[in-house]
Amino acid sequence: MTAPVTSTAHRIATRALGWLHTHRARAGLPADTTADLGDPNSVYKPLGETALAGSLVLRDAAAGSTDKRIAKELLDHSWAQFRQGDLLYERQLRHQLMTDPLETYAHFARSGYHHEGMARLLRHNAGLASVRAAEVVPNRRLAIANAARLAGVDLGTDWDALARATWLGAAAEPWAIDWMTAYAMTHTVFHLTDWGGRPEGLPVEMAGYLTTWLPVWIDIWREVSQWDLVAELMIVGACLEEPLCDPESWAALAAVQHEDGLVPRDGEPVAEDEQQRFVDHQHTAVVAAVAGCVAVARTLTTTGGTGA
Amino acid sequence: MRPAEGSVRAAYADAIAVLAHRVLDTLRGVGDTAPLAGFVEGAADPKAALAAIRIIGADTLAAQALGGAAAHPGDVAAVRQAAAVFPTPVHVPAPPEGSAENWAVAWRDWATARLLERHADGGAETHAPQPAAGPALAPNGSWQSWAVLMAQLSPLSLPGVEGPVPDAARRHPVSLARGITRAMLRRDYPTAARLARWIAVLHRDGVPLPLDPAPLVEHISLHAGGGTRLALDVAIARALLATTPGRTAG
Repeated sequence: MTAPVTSTAHRIATRALGWLHTHRARAGLPADTTADLGDPNSVYKPLGETALAGSLVLRDAAAGSTDKRIAKELLDHSWAQFRQGDLLYERQLRHQLMTDPLETYAHFARSGYHHEGMARLLRHNAGLASVRAAEVVPNRRLAIANAARLAGVDLGTDWDALARATWLGAAAEPWAIDWMTAYAMTHTVFHLTDWGGRPEGLPVEMAGYLTTWLPVWIDIWREVSQWDLVAELMIVGACLEEPLCDPESWAALAAVQHEDGLVPRDGEPVAEDEQQRFVDHQHTAVVAAVAGCVAVARTLTTTGGTGA
Repeated sequence: MRPAEGSVRAAYADAIAVLAHRVLDTLRGVGDTAPLAGFVEGAADPKAALAAIRIIGADTLAAQALGGAAAHPGDVAAVRQAAAVFPTPVHVPAPPEGSAENWAVAWRDWATARLLERHADGGAETHAPQPAAGPALAPNGSWQSWAVLMAQLSPLSLPGVEGPVPDAARRHPVSLARGITRAMLRRDYPTAARLARWIAVLHRDGVPLPLDPAPLVEHISLHAGGGTRLALDVAIARALLATTPGRTAG
């Protein structure tokens, strides 16, 4: 059943990436943006997420040349919005304990972008007890640790201990999960495996737990059309050492994707207004692009995904 | 719906709730010595009472199945009368050839007859042919629909029924566990309670399970509300769990 998933995943990723590229001019920081970022979630965070999707397409050799060109242009667009890294550097310098500049920079570092001042600042910060001891929940701490790894700095992370400290690490009652915990769980997997780049980073017992329960969670959130979360859960399946890529779920995601590449975040009506459509569904397009990209790479490099 | 049809349905629903309450009392060691006979005799609508016995089926004998005692002759007669008034269709092919719903009913009727044979003094008088096993007894790619079927077949989880259905449950612990987790997350507590009975059987039999049944049953119980049928399933699941060495009845 690998071939249909690979081709479906590839089509979803290409179309989602194309949609992000077509509408990239809608994601621009105001000219007077300072490092303080009055509203970091409106444009800054999505620009970073788009950079993540682009960086994974460039990382995974399976993408075609058109996808790679589009991915590079998306990264260039975000990098230009961040003033070739100056904005990230200024924000990190001014707000030493904030982690979003590092986490955003990591996507670019993955693709070979470099900012000398940022690299120096991150090395300096990594040695500070204040930075290392900042109080952060475990799945978020994993995000920071993985970003530091990509940026080439060492925060002294004990990965095994950190993995055990997450909700996923507790092998928790699968029937007591909720929407927010599900998102947190997916990110535990993303950062432990660097988005499917190092599946061995996920402890074996956690992979076994996910193989058992992921089909249930995908089923129940598919039923209520929570496409954004469903696609995140499908990334988790693709990140496992033995990928769990159910052809039916991939076909369902492909079926809800619009002709122009938009992937609706949920079952609510999609707005007519182009800018509103972009703002509402940008995150899901990133997730779909990442899901497709990781699934293609993983189903091609393993004996194949299995449905369950 | 015609008014007459509606009132018949309401009468049947009422009868099922009253009977479930009686069976629950028996399971708790309170109530009549012949609860089923008393239920039929005291019913304003005896046909609805017999229909309720047929629908609750093998679970009307849950106390005997779990405790090993003989059923009161009056109760045995009531169950036999229900089977006579509402007989199992003669030919019930297994799905996909036949309807899954009728097939599940045939299995439940068979389970009732099995328990009657075991717990009626004076031996068997009931001859219920065992339904065809069929591929539907394995998940075959859809653990979701298989778990729904197993929930419909939950009376067959009672001790003493045995046969291909409990064997199928024991072969597929992960599909059962997924099914109950799905039911919990969908807030479908009636289905979860029925599947909890199978989970409890597997736990009792030492089949490795990917989840702990005790907190699961407690959680369903907290959500049980006033539903007597659900409360009966939870009580049976608890009783099955209590038969495991090292556990006490809760």
